[in-house]
Amino acid sequence: MTSVDLQELTAMALEEIAGADSLEGLDEVRLRYLGRRDGLVTLAGQRLRELSPDQRAAYGQAFNRASGELRAALETRQRELAAGEEAEREDAEWVDMSHPFREPGQGHPHPVAGLIREIEDVFAFLGYQSVAGPELEDDQHNFQLLNMPPEHPARDAHDTFYLSPPAGGWLYRTHTSPVQMRAMLGSRPPLRIIVPGRVARRDNPDPTHTPVFHQVEGLCVDRGVTLGDLKGTLEYVIRALFGGDRRVRLRASFFPYTEPSLEADVACAVCQGVGCRTCLQKGWIEILGSGMVHPEVLRNGGVDPETHSGFAFGMGPDRIAVLRYGLTDLRDLYENDLRLLECF
Amino acid sequence: MRVSHEWLGEMVDLEGVEPAQVADLLTLSGTEVEKVTAFGVGLDQVVVGEVVGLRRVEGSDHLFLAHVATPGQEPREVICGADNLFVGALVPWARPGTRLPIGAEIGRKRLRGIWSEGMLCAPDELGLGSDHDGVLILSPDDAERGTTLDRLYPADHLYELEVLSNRADCLSHWGVARELSALLSRPLRDPEASRPTRSSLSPSVQVTVDSPTDCPVYLAEVLIGFSEAPAPDFVRRRLAAIGQRSLGGIVDLANYVMFEIGQPLHTFDLNRLPGVERGLEVGVRRGREGESIACLDGVARELDAETLVITVGDAPQAVAGLIGGEASAVGRGTSQVLLEAANFNWALLRSTSRRLRLRTEASGRFERQLSPHLARRGADRFIHLAVRHLGATLGPGAVGGAPLAPAAAIRCDPVWISSILGMELGPDEVASPLRRLQFEVRQEGGEVLATPPPYRTDVSTAVDLAEEVGRIIGYREVPGTLPPIRQAPPPEALEEPVARLTSTTCRAAGFSEALSLSLVSGEREALAPRLRRDLPHLELANPLSAQLGSLRLGLLQGLLQSAHHNQARGQDKVRLFEQGAAFWARGQERPEEPWMLAVLDLEDDGAADAVTRLRHLMALIASLSSVGGGGVVEFRPVTWPALHRARAAEVWAGAERRGIVGEVAQPVADAFDIRGRVEVAELRLDGWLKPGGRPGRAPSLPRTPALVLDLSVTVPSRALLGPALRAVAALDLPELELVTPIDEFLGDQLGPGFKGWTLRLRLRHPERTLTTAEGDGVRQAVLRVLELEVGARAR
Ligand SMILES: [Zn+2]
Repeated sequence: MTSVDLQELTAMALEEIAGADSLEGLDEVRLRYLGRRDGLVTLAGQRLRELSPDQRAAYGQAFNRASGELRAALETRQRELAAGEEAEREDAEWVDMSHPFREPGQGHPHPVAGLIREIEDVFAFLGYQSVAGPELEDDQHNFQLLNMPPEHPARDAHDTFYLSPPAGGWLYRTHTSPVQMRAMLGSRPPLRIIVPGRVARRDNPDPTHTPVFHQVEGLCVDRGVTLGDLKGTLEYVIRALFGGDRRVRLRASFFPYTEPSLEADVACAVCQGVGCRTCLQKGWIEILGSGMVHPEVLRNGGVDPETHSGFAFGMGPDRIAVLRYGLTDLRDLYENDLRLLECF
Repeated sequence: MRVSHEWLGEMVDLEGVEPAQVADLLTLSGTEVEKVTAFGVGLDQVVVGEVVGLRRVEGSDHLFLAHVATPGQEPREVICGADNLFVGALVPWARPGTRLPIGAEIGRKRLRGIWSEGMLCAPDELGLGSDHDGVLILSPDDAERGTTLDRLYPADHLYELEVLSNRADCLSHWGVARELSALLSRPLRDPEASRPTRSSLSPSVQVTVDSPTDCPVYLAEVLIGFSEAPAPDFVRRRLAAIGQRSLGGIVDLANYVMFEIGQPLHTFDLNRLPGVERGLEVGVRRGREGESIACLDGVARELDAETLVITVGDAPQAVAGLIGGEASAVGRGTSQVLLEAANFNWALLRSTSRRLRLRTEASGRFERQLSPHLARRGADRFIHLAVRHLGATLGPGAVGGAPLAPAAAIRCDPVWISSILGMELGPDEVASPLRRLQFEVRQEGGEVLATPPPYRTDVSTAVDLAEEVGRIIGYREVPGTLPPIRQAPPPEALEEPVARLTSTTCRAAGFSEALSLSLVSGEREALAPRLRRDLPHLELANPLSAQLGSLRLGLLQGLLQSAHHNQARGQDKVRLFEQGAAFWARGQERPEEPWMLAVLDLEDDGAADAVTRLRHLMALIASLSSVGGGGVVEFRPVTWPALHRARAAEVWAGAERRGIVGEVAQPVADAFDIRGRVEVAELRLDGWLKPGGRPGRAPSLPRTPALVLDLSVTVPSRALLGPALRAVAALDLPELELVTPIDEFLGDQLGPGFKGWTLRLRLRHPERTLTTAEGDGVRQAVLRVLELEVGARAR
């Protein structure tokens, strides 16, 4: 055999490799030419020993080239065939990817619960820690320590649910403010907390009332806290919750537990301040009550009003949810209709 | 409260100030204007006509034919249903073609064969209040024939005010004018009030007040010689503007003074009081058992020691501050009057008002701690107007109660006020708004001494002054700042709270977040499954209804209700969770408020699917415990009320029962009107899950390979896997890293009453590769335990 024969053999082998149409066929071709014992090319390689030393170099080179070429061709063809077979297998497993599915992968947050988490996050930026307090309170914490002695006219706005005996000493808190007292009595200033939670008032359910609803209370007590600080804080939070371009106004008000007292309104989003049904023609929507903690309340909380001051505020996430999400009936918030929940 | 722009304008110059600006100033300073409405607009088409002839329309028992004239014009015929016309009366006449303020278009109308040329108007038809008792009769002193009505009733604006509960002083035009005077920096013109020389031609009067605590001041004034004339037009016009009906000259005047000055007044017909001849003995005392009084509203009221009454000659004549008696009521023909200007204890009046379920303009003012100093002012204003406009003469008067303490000066430091408000204010800047509010202000050293005007009962401390200064300057002027954070971050600052962890985990598992009212129907909740089943409900003493009469013991009742709600609205799949407090009674002690989680999975589907959903729910509980650091969860089969007797388990973690999980029993689902199988769980999270959850410490990770072996056994068909795995875990074999059940099957070759389990054991030694022999040793140990625990046989 000569180098020329080797060339012909190679050409034949390459042709068969190219012609193989399955991985098994290709393996047969490989065994025929490169089989370890009797492959035609393998056998041709064994002739090397029969050649004279001066012929060996040339033939050896030719053999190496030929077998290298065949191996490469085999590999390429194998990859091609393997890819083709995988594709066929996958085609057999065809699925209609446009088919609509039913299972919701992820559940939805409740708008009010979600809003409370959002409010907590905003206040976390300002160093406020979210704390909880009991929903059932005594008169002392819900009213008296907050400057509302029995018969105080301001109690009228807090139409209170009382418990029956033997638990007759307890009431359902009418606001989250008692947690202010608990926080002041339980630790020393500086103090920065917010208190999200449920409260209840004796209002018959209607589109603008539910007897149980949520509040988020906030309290900041330190040396030298001012009404300017309250204003700055409220503006920051309202911008965060309602968007930076929403107009805000602070209005003088009255609460027994703060002085000076303020209420915050945001411009009505429905009418842009012109007046409409949503804002009762006022152009503004009340969202928050606040003020500088009354010196008497500070004292009741064990804080010296001569050295410390503070501000407090309270907002209603249910109401804010109504405003932000365009709800028309507050009661919808407590019916858990999935058609509503799935929008959040 | 409603106030008139025009009326305010008499006390403070509002020239050039738009109603919208007034509304804005008042609102921002605390007196919220809820609505501004135009009044008396469109009266320029209605003319003043004179009734020159009047007769009944033939064949009608209630229609009159009036001949109405204007100067230089022939009288026209107008048909009218009102019975208060008389020849010579000046009346508002809407001629054909007129459009009335209320929107009606007036035409020529044929009635009973007569052409009626327009209409004579009642006040309500002119947009001048709600009075529809008859045609508005105009006073010849003010009305000029042929002129249009807008000259008599100038267009006005009305403000609907929400006065703050501590600002009784603002429940009057004068009070609101004081605010505007301060806000606009324009001078205040106090309403004229004077007391002429007393005549001695009338009966004397004496006042005895039992308790000055009940009644700090009681002024009694005798006025005689009232004419029968109605109150002057400006009084009636303004009262009409704010929606008050005209009730005759004397009563109108008293009402007018109340709305102007803020002091409620009461007038008794002197001649209908007992003891006029000897002199009037007025008393203010508590009622006595058995006494009663017939009131002005026609109701007879029983009196008792909780009720303060006004007596004359010891006979009750009025319930103090609330309502007068019928017997001494002022009416037509009253010519002599006993005027009462008093102040009553606000708390007493409040409870009386509640008990009698009666609230009047007067009681509403007293309840808000009206200043007793206002009584004198109110009396004098009434006297002034009565003498001037109703021809009255002042007789004797008397005062009861205790001497009124003058308001005390309040000392404040402008530096302190600045530090509260967060704006630099010097003594002058603090003094100026206070002066504008009629405070008497002195400066002493750097300090400001301010004495509030006597009618400001809400101002008594330095912080009250700070608020006055702040709101009059306007909070718009205060620069907003953020206070520096000085407190240390709380130790758990970066840890995710349990409630959030729970919400995230449940939502990730496909459940949506629900919130239900914490007030429930106890009867209904008794039907629902719940973790705590041995407690009675905490009941409300004053519920709105039985449906909302009890505090919830658990959260599943709410979710079942929501499941029904959703199914009824066409949802075939409902997955909800709720977390929140439940309320567990502890007798008189503070009730316990456990933080609960309830989860519900409903699908109106086949039974096999229900098991998958139940397992999914259990997987959620396990992963919740895992992320919340609650430890390994164990489900112990149990029979539980309201749950399927063969599909319920307690959830245990460590040595504590944390919850229940299972399928709602069919009758219970039926009771909640739910179709299909409902899988539920209720867990108590507090004391179990921890903020931050996982330990957050890295373990040492062994690098040696694991040896994995499968073990197949045959067990009785109701053998429990949970206890079996626990028993294996209890072996505490150091090499046994993990046991996973990979198959459970039934088969003929196992025989009836048996099933097969295949468990996969993962073994590892931290330092070396385990041998097959070692692996077999572990497998044998596991098998022995399973034999003991559930009677397993190797297969
Ligand atoms: Zn609007």
